[in-house]
Amino acid sequence: MAKIMLVDDDLDLAEAVAKVLGVDGHKVVAEESPGKALDAMRKDPPDLAILDVMFPENSSEGFTLAQTMHGDSALRGVPILMLTAINVKFPLGFSSSDIDDVWMPVTAFLEKPVDLDVLREKVSAILKKSAGQG
Amino acid sequence: MSSGETIGPAVYDVPLPKEERIIPRAPQDGRYAPLPNVLLAQNALWVCRLRWIAVGLLFGFGLFTFLDGLPDFLGVKSRAMWPFVTAAALVFGNILFLFYIRGLEALPARFDIYTNLWSQIIMDLVVLTVVVHFVGSMETHIAFVYLLHVVLACIFFIPRQSLIVVATSCLLFLGCILVEGLGFMGRGGIFVTTIRTGPSAPGQIMLNLFSLWAILLAVWYLTSHLSIMVRRRDMQLMETNIRLIEAQKERTRHMLHTTHELKSPFSAIHTNVQLLLKGYCGTLPKEALEVLTRISERCRSLTAQIQDMLQLANLRSEAQQMPQSARLDVAALLRDCLGQVEPAALQRGIVLESDLQPVETFFVEDHFKMVFLNLLSNAVNYSNEGGRVRIECRLATDGRPRVSVADEGIGIPPEKLPNIFNDYYRTEEAVRHNRSSTGLGLAIVKQVVQTHRLHMVVESTQGKGTRFTVELPPVNNGESLRLETTHG
Repeated sequence: MAKIMLVDDDLDLAEAVAKVLGVDGHKVVAEESPGKALDAMRKDPPDLAILDVMFPENSSEGFTLAQTMHGDSALRGVPILMLTAINVKFPLGFSSSDIDDVWMPVTAFLEKPVDLDVLREKVSAILKKSAGQG
Repeated sequence: MSSGETIGPAVYDVPLPKEERIIPRAPQDGRYAPLPNVLLAQNALWVCRLRWIAVGLLFGFGLFTFLDGLPDFLGVKSRAMWPFVTAAALVFGNILFLFYIRGLEALPARFDIYTNLWSQIIMDLVVLTVVVHFVGSMETHIAFVYLLHVVLACIFFIPRQSLIVVATSCLLFLGCILVEGLGFMGRGGIFVTTIRTGPSAPGQIMLNLFSLWAILLAVWYLTSHLSIMVRRRDMQLMETNIRLIEAQKERTRHMLHTTHELKSPFSAIHTNVQLLLKGYCGTLPKEALEVLTRISERCRSLTAQIQDMLQLANLRSEAQQMPQSARLDVAALLRDCLGQVEPAALQRGIVLESDLQPVETFFVEDHFKMVFLNLLSNAVNYSNEGGRVRIECRLATDGRPRVSVADEGIGIPPEKLPNIFNDYYRTEEAVRHNRSSTGLGLAIVKQVVQTHRLHMVVESTQGKGTRFTVELPPVNNGESLRLETTHG
């Protein structure tokens, strides 16, 4: 069982994802505000963070949060899964090849809408890899 | 409450939109912006290169005067030394100027370039005046060579500065005539027959002097006016270009938000429908599951449609700003594409066959994937259950990589073939076979193919199948390279 922080301003989606990951025994905390999520993670670092990219007040706040986590000694080791509706085929979109330690310090991407089985497999794979490294 | 009262502690005065007009750097009063430093430095280098022509001409003429017979036959004074001396002066000066320009930094200071350019012009004018004297200031039209420097100055400088070059040329020519006329120097001239001992008539001197001055001024006026117009047009084009780039960026940002805002709700619907379909919320009656399946399919189809619409719109705007091409491993990318369509093929029992030879192309990766993902998806979508889709890539005899995607599906009637690349066009047969297609896949393919000016052929037999063949650009000017490593 793992602690997962889910940061997404779309609560309908967040609740659905939380329910699915809960089936695998994970404890999912959903936050719609990146600021509140960061505070909560600093108090109790999760095993995995699932982040959206675009938020109402800032269209790249998910990246900012990932960068802040990467620069925070307590959260640097937390794997990050980006779950975003930004089209990976779009010129301003991104894909796994864009991941780097400074600009985009994340572990993996999934594009919304995501198949729930694919999401569960991805989460399991990341947690397994993270546990192996830890 | 009166209209002047504020109703809360937080007040925000909504700012007016920013002035979008880019203030032109070219003033409208006839003066105009000088050339950028980098361009001036390039021009300084160009003048140095041009000077080698003058050196060659002078040196050649000097040698000519040492020939036996021909100078005498043409009436040219033999054994002239002045061409060698003036050529040597130009060579010495040119080497110094070249050395100086090469020593300038990538972004040279304006003062450094101006010093260089003005020094070059002064040296040229002085050497030219010496040449004018020796060739014959009154007897020949050599003085009109000053025009070359006037034109060059009009290209490099603003009118006020080029006028200084005109004035300097006029004064140097006047000085030459005065020195000759007052007897400080003997009369020059390259022709034996035109050598005179006495001074020219004052009328002739004045006519020559004033006509040269008038022509120099007229050429200066016309050339600098033309130069102003050309530079203004350049500035306008530059401004338009900046605006277009800004508009393109804004459009891209807008499209990014549109994609996100349109896809997010569908994503939430899709995820919640999956919760119900996959039994996360308990068992549902069969009829309810069928309804949910239909909702899920339409949701997926709408998401795909949004993506295709945006992709097509983006491709059409990209036509002016082509993304960077790179060397691509054709077979590896095709295997990626095959992997993406494999689940859909498996679901319908369609066999994917491939014969991928290791070749490379020089192309935009995203565009490559757009073309072949769409062609493969189409082949799978319009195949009959249990059918076969075959993709081949090989190097054609002309050195171009050639990829073909063939299916054994429903085929396309010949009269409808020209329409299949139109936006939203779908044949009746295609709609009957697959209702969920967006109708934009082949429009995207056509857009990429036309943008890159690729050759694509479609062959089809109704009821038997369709084959699309695309010729890709070769690597290294027409020679596609076979990869050294073979891929399994």
